[in-house]
Amino acid sequence: MNGQSDAIPGQQSSRSPAPRLGWEEFSRELVEFFASIKLAMFLFLFIAITATIGTVIQQNERPESYIQEYGEHTYRWFLRLGFIDVYHTWWFTGLLGLLCVNSLTCFYKRFPGVWRSMKQDRVSVSLDFVKGMKQQAEVSIASSKEVVSQQLAQHFIEKGYKVLAKNDPGEVTIYATKGVLGRVGAHMAHLSATVIIVGGLIGTYYGFQEFGVCLEGQTYHIPRGNFDIKVDKFWIDYHENGSVKSYNSTLTVIDGGKSAVTKTISVNDPLVYKGIWFYQSSYGDSWDQVEVARVNIKDKATDKVLKTVDLEWHKEQAVADLDLKLSITDFVADFAFNSTEKKVFSKTVEHANPAIRLAVNERNSVQSTPWVFYQFPDLFDIKESKYQFELVAYKPKKFTGLQIAKNPGINIVWTGSTMIVVGITLSSFIFHRRIWMKIVPAPEGVTVYVGGTTHKSQIDFQREFRKLTDKLRTFSASPS
Amino acid sequence: MVRSLFLFDMTFWLYLAALTLYIAYLFARRPAMALAPAGHSTDNFDERDGAWATQLGQIATLITVFGWIVNTGALFTRAFERMQTSGTFAPWSNQFEAMAYVSWAIILGYVLLELRYKIKAIGAFVVGIGFIAMGAASLLPYRYQTAEPLVPALNSYWIYIHVSITLTSYAAFAMAGGLGVMYLFKERAERRGSTSRFYAAFPDLETIDELGYKAITVGFPLLAFGIILGAMWANYAWGGYWSWDPKETWSLIVWLIYGAYIHARMTRGWEGHRAAVYAIFGFLMVVFCFWGVNFLLSGLHAYA
Repeated sequence: MNGQSDAIPGQQSSRSPAPRLGWEEFSRELVEFFASIKLAMFLFLFIAITATIGTVIQQNERPESYIQEYGEHTYRWFLRLGFIDVYHTWWFTGLLGLLCVNSLTCFYKRFPGVWRSMKQDRVSVSLDFVKGMKQQAEVSIASSKEVVSQQLAQHFIEKGYKVLAKNDPGEVTIYATKGVLGRVGAHMAHLSATVIIVGGLIGTYYGFQEFGVCLEGQTYHIPRGNFDIKVDKFWIDYHENGSVKSYNSTLTVIDGGKSAVTKTISVNDPLVYKGIWFYQSSYGDSWDQVEVARVNIKDKATDKVLKTVDLEWHKEQAVADLDLKLSITDFVADFAFNSTEKKVFSKTVEHANPAIRLAVNERNSVQSTPWVFYQFPDLFDIKESKYQFELVAYKPKKFTGLQIAKNPGINIVWTGSTMIVVGITLSSFIFHRRIWMKIVPAPEGVTVYVGGTTHKSQIDFQREFRKLTDKLRTFSASPS
Repeated sequence: MVRSLFLFDMTFWLYLAALTLYIAYLFARRPAMALAPAGHSTDNFDERDGAWATQLGQIATLITVFGWIVNTGALFTRAFERMQTSGTFAPWSNQFEAMAYVSWAIILGYVLLELRYKIKAIGAFVVGIGFIAMGAASLLPYRYQTAEPLVPALNSYWIYIHVSITLTSYAAFAMAGGLGVMYLFKERAERRGSTSRFYAAFPDLETIDELGYKAITVGFPLLAFGIILGAMWANYAWGGYWSWDPKETWSLIVWLIYGAYIHARMTRGWEGHRAAVYAIFGFLMVVFCFWGVNFLLSGLHAYA
């Protein structure tokens, strides 16, 4: 972010007219190219344009959905160009890498100059240099060289400028500067790009992000942290109008057999243990457990409902007047049967074809474990039994969806973030001002030549400069 | 709810009145002196303006300030209403409130600009954009205008700072866009050698250009800060600080576009006409990021 327009004559790089093919020349050209503002602009815009791709084309979908929407031919091109996962393609990462190279080279090339001007700046300049500046003025003052230079120095010191003066034979040169921090800020922002990207890479390579579906009362092992996590409770709070206020899970960390921490997490309030973060991410209906199920007991002979019972999960309930004992042993949300393993399982997590397995104990003589279907009430029949069982309703257990993540690069990312915000703010609001004054004796008093430059905020500088020249004119009126 | 909606409505009409007055100000008769060639200094407009123009300008400023106070009142009232219904008080928790806040910030920015630089002609453009923002908000259907409780992901203290900072940066870019339009108007008049008194109150091209640049240098760090606060929030709510969600990506795109602008200003030839066109383009991208993404693209920010 350094202006090139205000380079001081004599400091300009002296380019040889006929470039030799030496390493020095080549490397200079290379630095020139990589540090160039043109490259920065190109990268900014090119990254901006390519980043739109991922917002228009859904990312990381299944192939079928792309083929359905765009056709197979286009999908092939998407694959070739990486459009289905733009932000992780080699070329997008390459652009980000190039941006780092660009900003680092710019830092390497320009920061030493800024550093030098923080330490020491050029004081003596030629009169033509002062006259040739964008903001310049010429003021005659009926006063002596010494008095004027003292007054000027005083004025600038009061305004918070750093003032340097040089006493040459016949003339005095005063140099005042302020706001070099604005330039330091720009370079801080340049470095931050690399810091953020390095932090991001560390997070990608050494961190992880997983998703866990957890049921109340269960304990889960977290292998990457070598501890266990127990889900004590999951519940939902509601607003008065019925909309969801928060999703909450109470978690207990069990480390080395002892419970270490218990915390109720909710959206926006994760649990952090040993650098691993547990987020309340989602919830849903369990596909293999119910909390309670409502079963109708019908008399086969009359087809009348004799009784309706609510059965709790894995809890035997006696129906005394019918001489029955019932319990639910299994549940599947989407019934399917694996004929080779002879096993019932849930085909999907959707509640498409729910069924419970009842353990029936009738008069202590008829024992059976039929699958009772919600949608097909007549499918199973216990021959010896007097009764027919119907599943009329059930309340599935809720699972809590936990996001489990670790990101060792995060603090580096935050460091880079702080740098970029502080850097850009400094560079936006503090502008580097440099003013040179030559005080030359004239027939009546002295003539002051003032010239000033800034790399941005010309309009404010113009005002400041006008005030300065107005102030200068008052010097002659009231000699101290 | 009714109370704040009434105040928002009133703000809308006041901004409309202010905009009308600022435009009338441009058309008002000025003494012959005011028709001096362009390139005049920017400091002494008040003396040069004719009596009519001066009075119109003063009333316009008064109405703008009054409208802004009503806007402030509306936001505060909405904050209290939110307190009762949704457990947060941030009066920028849905699209409507966000728009009303953006216009609040634009008008505040304009009033500060007028206080400092005393150029009333800018009002016709910048207050114009503030008015359009307020108008667009009031065109939203009623169900978008009420203070519904926040979804759990939004219900966090981060909403106070992340949303307000980001929206303030949008306001700064809106001002730059308005100044860009103004620049093109003035430039066209100069090219045609127009002596219409309409342009007499316009500041010179360089000033418009510099002010537009300044607005962007305010918006640029604010947007960076807003994006980073968003990343920090996402780290708490979604389990990762960056997930290339459309809104995230678009705010980054907008930031990159202005990043290119900031760098371009360092090279020759990127001030003036090109910068003005670019500022308008950038503002359109901001509008897309703010409105387009919400209504056209799906993603995690879909609720706001």
